Amino acid sequence: MKRTAASPPKMGFRDWIGWMFFVDLLHGLRLTLSYLFSPSITLQYPDREKWIPYPRFRGHHYLRSDSDGTTRCVACELCARICPCHCITVVPHTAADGERRPQVFDIDLARCLFCGLCEDACPVEAIALGQNYEFSQYTPAALRADLDQLASMPGKVDRGGYVVAARLEAGTRISPTGSTEEGRHWWQQIRGMRVKRDE
Amino acid sequence: MELTLAILVICIKLALIAGVLLLLPVPLTWLERKVAGHMQQRLGPMRVGWHGLLQPIADGIKLLTKEDTIPAGADRLLFKIAPIVALVPSFVVFITIPFGENVTVLGHEITLAVSNLNIGLLFILAVIGLEVFGVILAGWASNSKYALLGGLRTCAQMISYEIPMGFAVIGVIMLAQSMNLAEIVEAQSEVWFIVYQPIGFLVFLIAGLAECQRVPFDLAEAEGDLGAGYHTEYSGMRFSLFMMNEYIIMVLISVLCVLLFFGGWHGILLPLPPLVWFLLKVALVIYLFMWFRFTFPRYRYDQLMTIGWKVLLPLSLANILITGLLL
Ligand code: SF4
Ligand code: SF4
Repeated sequence: MKRTAASPPKMGFRDWIGWMFFVDLLHGLRLTLSYLFSPSITLQYPDREKWIPYPRFRGHHYLRSDSDGTTRCVACELCARICPCHCITVVPHTAADGERRPQVFDIDLARCLFCGLCEDACPVEAIALGQNYEFSQYTPAALRADLDQLASMPGKVDRGGYVVAARLEAGTRISPTGSTEEGRHWWQQIRGMRVKRDE
Repeated sequence: MELTLAILVICIKLALIAGVLLLLPVPLTWLERKVAGHMQQRLGPMRVGWHGLLQPIADGIKLLTKEDTIPAGADRLLFKIAPIVALVPSFVVFITIPFGENVTVLGHEITLAVSNLNIGLLFILAVIGLEVFGVILAGWASNSKYALLGGLRTCAQMISYEIPMGFAVIGVIMLAQSMNLAEIVEAQSEVWFIVYQPIGFLVFLIAGLAECQRVPFDLAEAEGDLGAGYHTEYSGMRFSLFMMNEYIIMVLISVLCVLLFFGGWHGILLPLPPLVWFLLKVALVIYLFMWFRFTFPRYRYDQLMTIGWKVLLPLSLANILITGLLL
């Protein structure tokens, strides 16, 4: 028989007894009590812990350099072209070794939407979106990243996706103190989510 | 000399009770936030002090230094006195609560209650009913729809829980043959009344939940549908008075539960000092209330009325009848 709102399910004798003694409410209380004693999933960022993002995470841009320290960028301006927000400014010049290099390379992070298209467009894999997500500033002007800043930004992580112990230092990025390999996979502590991490 | 001493003793007791009651919300808010956090797999406050222990003090300083706004359309006088009207009865009732047996200090017998009233229980039920006026006044004076609805709900809630609550304790009074709280506790030195009065306790607990306006009966301040209910328009110190009031009433209901049904300061199994037993039981009931808060959804306004009139009232009457027959 199809149940509708007008005809609620028939309550048997046992249901009535349960109803009389608040069995449903007791079930609820038992559930919350079990949650009370289950581990917490709170990530104590920034005081004690820090999340290391996945390799595919799109954070602050960085510019790759060759082994001799010169930037890889050939100032072709393809990234500036493809950028949907027009937030990359590239001014090319001829470097001392005769190569075409950027004189100015600015990214206005206040406008960037972190789509990663610049990374896809770059023919020499110079620009990429790295792991840094701690770059809040007080003014939009301070969010303009220049060539030196981009070159010094951390790159992508190898594995990532875990939480490491970290230390809060005023004025800097939160520096991890624990080794990356002993990181905690916080999401595995969510009840019912004890899944093996695929290697 | 005797008189001065007696007055001095009363003053000391009053100061103690007022001090403890004023400071009680500090650990209770911390506990509540911790219980809430851990039940939701969070940690709760962690940053101020060890595991956030000093958080309530930080919150208190914030509330004290906040701007105290009064809405333009509010009735200024009523708006100002409403928190006081709500707070005074909750403090007053504590003068009849005994915290233990009489103690003898320097040859003087001292009761562990400010005043050992013969009609203590009646006094408490009567005075605590006044507290609702503060809430209703606050709702009315704020000149805001949310606050007014909160006040209205409190009215409706009060008439549906006060009567079953009064009836629920009659069984206890019949068993103890007294309305004096100390004597009620004395009568439980052998067997706690929860054994004889399970239904009475249940009715009292549910009505008590409604009395201290906690989940599942927190209709007057239902955050989900009324902003913050009757104290939507309050800020700063006046708001904190309402919060304090809520916590004190919760403590009161817990204390009453323990005194009436769980044998007050009489312990079982462990030979702990009576006061420790008393506080332990009160803390357990308070924890129960917090546990409820983070487990149950809120009852609807009409459901509360139905529970009050159609379930609790007949149950409490039947309880009186059965108690009378068995005595
Ligand atoms: S991530 Fe997207 S928006 Fe940001 S600079 Fe690159 S292309 Fe432009
Ligand atoms: S970063 Fe890449 S795409 Fe952008 S200007 Fe340099 S070489 Fe061209």
